[in-house]
Amino acid sequence: MRAVRLVKGSVRPPDNDSAFLLDPHRRHVPGAARMRRYREDDAVDMVIVGAGAGGTVLAQRLARAGWRVVIIEAGPFWDPDRDWVSDEAGSHHIYWTQTRIIGGEDPVALGNNNSGRGVGGSMIHYAGYTPRFHPSDFRTRSLDGVGADWPISYEELRPHYERVERELPVAGEYWPWGDPHGYPHSPHPISGAAERAWEGALRYGIEMRVGPVAIANGQFGNRPHCIYRGFCLQGCKVNAKASPLVTHLPDALEHGVEVRADSMATRVETDGHGRATGVVYVHEGREHMQRADAVAISGYSIETPRLLLNSRSPAHPNGIGNGADQVGRYVMVQGAPQVAGRFPEAMRMYKAPPPEVSSEVFYETDASRGFARGFSIQTISPLPIGWAEHVIADGHWGRQLREYMRDYNHWSVLGALCELLPEPGNRVTLADEADENGTPLARFEYTQCENDRANIAFAKGVLHDIWEAAGAQDVLTIDRYAHLIGGCRMGTSPETSVVDGDHRCWEVPNLFVADGSALPTQGSANPALTIMALSSRLAERLASGRVSGSRSRDGSRMVGVG
Amino acid sequence: MPFENAGHLPNRRGGEAAEPYDLPRQRRGITPQMHGRYPDYNVLEHASHWDEQTRTVVLARLEPPEYRHFEPEELPTLEAFCDTVMAQDTEPRIPVLRFVDAALHERRLPGYRYEGMPPDGEAWRRVRRGLDDEARALGAGTFAELSQEGRDDIVGRFSREELRGGVWDTMPVKRAWTVTTAAILTAYYAHPWSWNEIGFGGPAYPRGYMRLGIDQHEPWEGREAEGLAADFQQDVDADPGMGP
Repeated sequence: MRAVRLVKGSVRPPDNDSAFLLDPHRRHVPGAARMRRYREDDAVDMVIVGAGAGGTVLAQRLARAGWRVVIIEAGPFWDPDRDWVSDEAGSHHIYWTQTRIIGGEDPVALGNNNSGRGVGGSMIHYAGYTPRFHPSDFRTRSLDGVGADWPISYEELRPHYERVERELPVAGEYWPWGDPHGYPHSPHPISGAAERAWEGALRYGIEMRVGPVAIANGQFGNRPHCIYRGFCLQGCKVNAKASPLVTHLPDALEHGVEVRADSMATRVETDGHGRATGVVYVHEGREHMQRADAVAISGYSIETPRLLLNSRSPAHPNGIGNGADQVGRYVMVQGAPQVAGRFPEAMRMYKAPPPEVSSEVFYETDASRGFARGFSIQTISPLPIGWAEHVIADGHWGRQLREYMRDYNHWSVLGALCELLPEPGNRVTLADEADENGTPLARFEYTQCENDRANIAFAKGVLHDIWEAAGAQDVLTIDRYAHLIGGCRMGTSPETSVVDGDHRCWEVPNLFVADGSALPTQGSANPALTIMALSSRLAERLASGRVSGSRSRDGSRMVGVG
Repeated sequence: MPFENAGHLPNRRGGEAAEPYDLPRQRRGITPQMHGRYPDYNVLEHASHWDEQTRTVVLARLEPPEYRHFEPEELPTLEAFCDTVMAQDTEPRIPVLRFVDAALHERRLPGYRYEGMPPDGEAWRRVRRGLDDEARALGAGTFAELSQEGRDDIVGRFSREELRGGVWDTMPVKRAWTVTTAAILTAYYAHPWSWNEIGFGGPAYPRGYMRLGIDQHEPWEGREAEGLAADFQQDVDADPGMGP
């Protein structure tokens, strides 16, 4: 690495030409026009459900290794020029807005809060924060007596973190927390709103760092520099913010991956020998089935369990992979309270990307705080509709609401990401209602535990104290959640998990779960980078044959035998 | 420097908002009720700088569609409810309920439904019946016929989850408040008139921003009234600085 650092500019990622396959003047993916097509009865090497962070990285890696891969994606194949707008309310279509039922004592809002739809998945609308998990996140049961230990370690994932960080690429300051590391792109300039948060944190007695964000700082291949317009959550019309649509899909298409967009998977098919044979999906009202030697589900924490639970057969009466009643359990969200501070000067927080500076000082367990695990702190910077939701959540409507809204340009917003613990009762099940295809809807029940409530309360106190130290004239608070993790977790025993450390379903040897639902814990880190790194690791193991992959006699790949 | 200190903010005034009609009247463009903090800022003057897709979406909001989800008899109460939540007491008003109606009709829904809640379109209908029931308890025929004080009283109790009985027992009141107000806020703060009111830059593609720091602004961004105090007496036409 030392010699590489002498090269001016960022390092071109190995084995991924995506940034160079894009058009410098238009934002669509040029390779889509000449995409390879497979016949449905042609059993491809792998069919993947979901073109998000997990599915797209897996497809790109396997295609590079010569695998024939088809991705089934429920939403559209986006053209950012044509389909996305620089507007909050006008971006409704980039979220997963098909109905789901939410319950429990602390129900979790879905939709634009955490659920994407279309090629690129939730990374189309994520803010862009891409921190790594800490090494401790993989061993919370051993270290802190809570959560679960992963079947794999941080060290196994580290080379894939490094590789994905170069591909996105991630910009930020040297990272002193967790496993200390640098980033391929230098930190972005920060906005006034972030500067004020930074000053407040220093006066309070903690340090923040710029980044880490998956936003190119400088031209990267044919992806232009960020223009600091602030609409990261509405889909990046610039192609500066990383999503699989620009970071992995162009290279995947170049190596023969087919993406079938607007195709809703409804069932995983199995044969009489306990193997998956393909995926049934609905496209334009008609049912199809893509045959494959192996199946990977990458639909995230609600839709992946829903698909498995809906894949019932005589051999799998409670849904595929659900013999031990583990599918849909241990779904996690991060507690994400936000506290806004008011200042005499103009902050104009709508300018520059919302993800700017963050701190992981409170990430690890500190027994003196009275709860296990911790939280991170990040700038948020909502646009007007997001700010209005913040104001009304603090109890203001009518003239009070209008007054706080008119004051928008004087505010800066900090958020916490609190590590809430995995609980078996926080789960996705099937509702009594069905969608237009007749597929039962997902029902997501969520209730916090005492440790969760203590964590969130403490984090809110810290955010208040930071703004007080910064000299805020007023503060407003909102309780909310962020991100989804778990639901088909990996583990060491089929009794307490859905997949093994190679993401392989305990019950069905050629069925994999490659997305955020496989994570046993969530840390206080935004999950996108870790989901991508896990798919990168899985693909490496599949392609090298370490996960029971071998060519069968007819030349197709046999996965999961033995 | 009226906005440098925070004396106008409700938390600093015992929960009471300052009188909005003491704010400057809008001189360029439109704000709801024609008052705001950026009297010479009209975001619509910058529409030529927006990308075509965004311009189409935003400008369409200036001509909201006719009602398609709600029935005529539901409109007065629900319009009054929206205007009470947003404190829109005179023209010009953002026609909030029309945008709510369009979203419900076109099934642009949030993507989740609280357990125990009916579908959003039905939730709105029940809220209308509940508001009218409360109004009758106060001696009026409907919520729309109440005085502003009466409307504020009912909406305040709605916001504090204090409404009980009748239709309010058919769904969790807390969720009904969240579902309806989220739709109201989305409609109101998606409208470019509200961006004039709060000094939001609006769509920023492909132009982007260069001046990110504290108290910095692009030449075209709106200035708060405090910075324009000396200009207040001038005619709009004499101010060349705010063109697109």
